[in-house]
Amino acid sequence: MSSARFEFRVNGRPTPVPELPDDERLLDTLRWRLGLKGTKEGCRTGDCGACTVLVDGRSTLSCLTLAREVEGTSVTTIEGAGTDADLAHIVSAFDRAGALQCGYCTPGFVMALTGLVKERGRSAPVAELLDGLQGNLCRCTGYASIARAVALARSEAP
Amino acid sequence: MSSFELRVPASVDEAIAALRVEDAGTVAVLAGGTDLLLDLDDRRTAPSRVVSLRRLPWKTLDWVDGALTIGSTLPLRSLEEDPEVARRLPGLWEAVRNVGSVALRHRATLGGNLGRSAPASDLVPMLLALDAEVDLIGPAGARRLSVDEFVRASRRTALRPGELIRSVRVPESRPSAYLWQRVRPANDISQIAVAAAYSPSEHRWQLAAGGMPPRPVRLPEVERLLGTGVPSEPVLRAAADRASREVALTTDQRASEEYRRRLVGALLARAVRAVAPHAEGRA
Repeated sequence: MSSARFEFRVNGRPTPVPELPDDERLLDTLRWRLGLKGTKEGCRTGDCGACTVLVDGRSTLSCLTLAREVEGTSVTTIEGAGTDADLAHIVSAFDRAGALQCGYCTPGFVMALTGLVKERGRSAPVAELLDGLQGNLCRCTGYASIARAVALARSEAP
Repeated sequence: MSSFELRVPASVDEAIAALRVEDAGTVAVLAGGTDLLLDLDDRRTAPSRVVSLRRLPWKTLDWVDGALTIGSTLPLRSLEEDPEVARRLPGLWEAVRNVGSVALRHRATLGGNLGRSAPASDLVPMLLALDAEVDLIGPAGARRLSVDEFVRASRRTALRPGELIRSVRVPESRPSAYLWQRVRPANDISQIAVAAAYSPSEHRWQLAAGGMPPRPVRLPEVERLLGTGVPSEPVLRAAADRASREVALTTDQRASEEYRRRLVGALLARAVRAVAPHAEGRA
């Protein structure tokens, strides 16, 4: 079935992927076939959250998802900040809070938080948003600034 | 070149047919994939065909007369978001929301958790305490087993070749609690977990422990010691002590046998105390 036609939307754009192997992970399709290197590979075992993207608005570990399983869905990556208002809002909060050190975990944190905001709304309690980021690890341990970004995103709720 | 062929059947009949592979082929079932893909990476399993259940109409959650039926491919996050689950089955809600992360729970499913049958599953102990049943469908038709009958050992269940887990049924709402100990609270595997529930229809406690190999177990002797209604502190302490001595525990990379013995008793007492105010006579 490797030759079967495959199409999904990526950051709002219809995106066909020719000759997508059945066993390919969404992470690899995004990075290596579509060149969207903002999505990071950390552990590849679902423990670090660096590969988090949105599938139909819901945070998803792209390392533990077969690309073919998201056929027909709408995928948003960190590169989609120009097409998604919630994502742009969170990127801006991280920016103004200086919520990154090496930056490797940042796209995963931003996508996970964007997903939470889509689920719970921008006025969700800070504690609930922080709780929902438990699956994202920062090896620089820059969590305090990330928590400030969460508070900033929250306090600017319209 | 793909290491396996992916099938995405659009109906239950098609799915059951797709589970039949010719010659020396092997087949794996894909629900959320959060465990299967790890096994594929580690080459613990190397199927020639993977059958995805994503098109089957099983992402369901139904309450009928206080009984909850959960479709096997419903993402755990959807189960956690149902307000009735938190209200009527608080122990199940607590267990579900402690599986992995939000992003993992958007894909992971109850059917996958049961099919994988991990010794440290956070869901199996609670399902045991809730008397949950598993509905299966296969070439020979449908059958229903208790979770206790279904779960055997790690990656081993009563599932027959060609069968699929269709849904899980929780027969009644029960005051319940789920408590665990882990090295790290988030995104980790429980060293020991204890599930406690009180059946309002049968006026009795139902308990289970998990986190240790080969599988989560019920604790019938301890249940009998607790008796009916809210136990006194001496009775509760005797029951916790019994649990510490009776559960078969081993040392592995996550915890020592001795530590697990202490945990079983301590968590069991705490779980029963948490449920007691909601058991009969104190409501």
